[in-house]
Amino acid sequence: MIERIFYNIIRKKQALPRKKLPAAAPDALLLPGKKEKEVFGGAFTRSIRIRQVDAGSCNACEWECTALTNPVYDIQRFGIDFVASPRHADILLVTGPASAAMANALKKTWLATPDPKIVIACGDCARDGGIYKGSYAVTGGVDKVVPVDAFIPGCPPKPADITANIMQIVKLLSKIK
Amino acid sequence: MIENEIYRDVAKEDFRAECARLFSGGNGRLRLMFAADLRETGEGFCVYTVFSHAQEDRFEILRLKGIGGEGGKPEFPSITPEVPAAHWYERQIADMFGLVPSGHPDLHPLVLHGLYPPDVYPLRRDISSEAISRHLALENEDLSPFMEVKGEGIYEIPVGPVHAGIIEPGHFRFSAVGETIYYLDARLFYTHKGAEKHFERIGFKEGVKLSERISGVSSFAHSAAYCMALERMSGTALPARASAIRTLLLEMERLYNHIGDIGNMCAGTGFAVGYARGASLKERIMALNHQLTGSRYLRGVNTPGGVLVDALQDPAATLREIEEITEEYKSFISFLTSSVSHVERLENAGVLSRAIALGLGATGIAARASGLNDDLRTSHPHFYYGQLVFETHTRMKGDVFARMMLRADEVGCSIAIIRSILHKANGKRIEGNISDGGEWEAAANSQALGYVEGPRGSVFYFVKSGANGAPLRVKPRAASFCNWPLMPFAVHGNIVPDFPLINKSFNLSYSGSDA
Ligand code: SF4
Repeated sequence: MIERIFYNIIRKKQALPRKKLPAAAPDALLLPGKKEKEVFGGAFTRSIRIRQVDAGSCNACEWECTALTNPVYDIQRFGIDFVASPRHADILLVTGPASAAMANALKKTWLATPDPKIVIACGDCARDGGIYKGSYAVTGGVDKVVPVDAFIPGCPPKPADITANIMQIVKLLSKIK
Repeated sequence: MIENEIYRDVAKEDFRAECARLFSGGNGRLRLMFAADLRETGEGFCVYTVFSHAQEDRFEILRLKGIGGEGGKPEFPSITPEVPAAHWYERQIADMFGLVPSGHPDLHPLVLHGLYPPDVYPLRRDISSEAISRHLALENEDLSPFMEVKGEGIYEIPVGPVHAGIIEPGHFRFSAVGETIYYLDARLFYTHKGAEKHFERIGFKEGVKLSERISGVSSFAHSAAYCMALERMSGTALPARASAIRTLLLEMERLYNHIGDIGNMCAGTGFAVGYARGASLKERIMALNHQLTGSRYLRGVNTPGGVLVDALQDPAATLREIEEITEEYKSFISFLTSSVSHVERLENAGVLSRAIALGLGATGIAARASGLNDDLRTSHPHFYYGQLVFETHTRMKGDVFARMMLRADEVGCSIAIIRSILHKANGKRIEGNISDGGEWEAAANSQALGYVEGPRGSVFYFVKSGANGAPLRVKPRAASFCNWPLMPFAVHGNIVPDFPLINKSFNLSYSGSDA
């Protein structure tokens, strides 16, 4: 049994090459007025913890976030990981158009996250409702419910883009050289 | 006329008995039930039920019209006492249209969570999205009670809607005795996005994009069923090559879902290596999807009258990649089944009985792992399935292991179908255009069903146009909508720590069901 497990781990053929990160989109990721946020100065460096919140996504954004921890993208290699509780998080990564029924829960999750915190709206829905804009059951973007610092475009954004953009956002907001 | 759709108006007195007759006998299936607000055509509120026989390609569509007309009460006879599968549909109709299913045994709100004033019914056509938004009370807490289990030693465990992992939101209320789950009350519809009304707002053509975004991991199944409904409504023929491409991509979608789900079950047993290998393999299929169509989720392909992307351009290269994936998959599945501790956790967990699956109208893996032979690919052949020879599978035991092994059986079937389409294309036996070329136009005053067998089970769409060719009603029905009500039965008597595993073995979509 044991040999079998190690055999499969060691066998190189099994492993897909880990993805190189694409160039991240520049400052455009940050929402207006969020650039000079001194509070982040040096607050986040290498060990960043993310709490992902699904605020009504179609689940494609969810599955791309899940893919970040698979052996191909392996986001942990950059010192980033997902945590189970908002109490442990530095970043809230929010997907979906902020459905009306999730507004309360999202607000509570945000309140439970200690300061300083970064809120990232992930996916076109999270920015302004995306395809669901104008529907009665969505508030039309995460910033209608909690203050948002940055936005990752895409429907859904690809896993490598999510990683690259998260790193870029953290860098911009905490003024890391 | 669409050959396999038979529409019939029934009188109020006969409605329940007619539905019961079509459902009885073990092979009648309630595929879809919905209401429509047809007051503008003078037909009042209507309730439709769509039944079909699991072995005959014929849909019986019953309509009860004129509900609440001439000052009558907005009521219709509930069919749930005879057809338990109608249970959620009727609650949904009550929430969204304000039509009361009289005689429903368990009528309480399903979709709207107390954020809406009691007299606002979102799917009525005389209230706009904007007007509903103005009425929303976002800060309201949903105070409707959960099912309460009383007795010595019973306690409740509330979980969600924000969960510990990266999962969709839903609230689960367990009533447990020690570690054993006595009852599970699931409150869903946190991701309700008003899709049905939104379809009416954005029109049929934009609707294709929306159908791709009802449930991300079934993007292709949903858009294929939706486009099929539009094509049938307007009598548009689908070119053979487009039909083959849709079939190929439906199977690619099944492949990445099934393999991903088999891997995810390892997360439920704490089997990290199995989980990682499943995730890598799924990633590889997603990459192939991207290569074939430009989208990991196969979006932007379907359009009424054909497909926009020719995924059969280089069948030989695709075949080579599929062969490699197959090899890797074989080693993966034998690795999993040779792990005694993994298999031991799966066996006898989360048993869903055949009787419950049949009564509540289970579909897809959930139904077939509990002994119900029901697969639209053979019972109601669509797209290219009629031209292919393949075998569908069932398992009898209804436990988590049966659902895993059924997925493994179906992966084999999907690979066989993919191979045979690719071989045909390679031999230049699937030629022609990928769309009919013309711009698709909606027909006025017409209606049709669209359906496919998606990764989680059957997906249905009903579309109906008005006099100007604009949508009067679009009703999507995701597979998960049929399967969520099974969950309390499957977890009963299991221990709380096994819930995530049982949940993963069904792997239902919240967004699809909440719509
Ligand atoms: S942005 Fe696109 S993929 Fe993400 S939740 Fe919205 S519709 Fe789904």
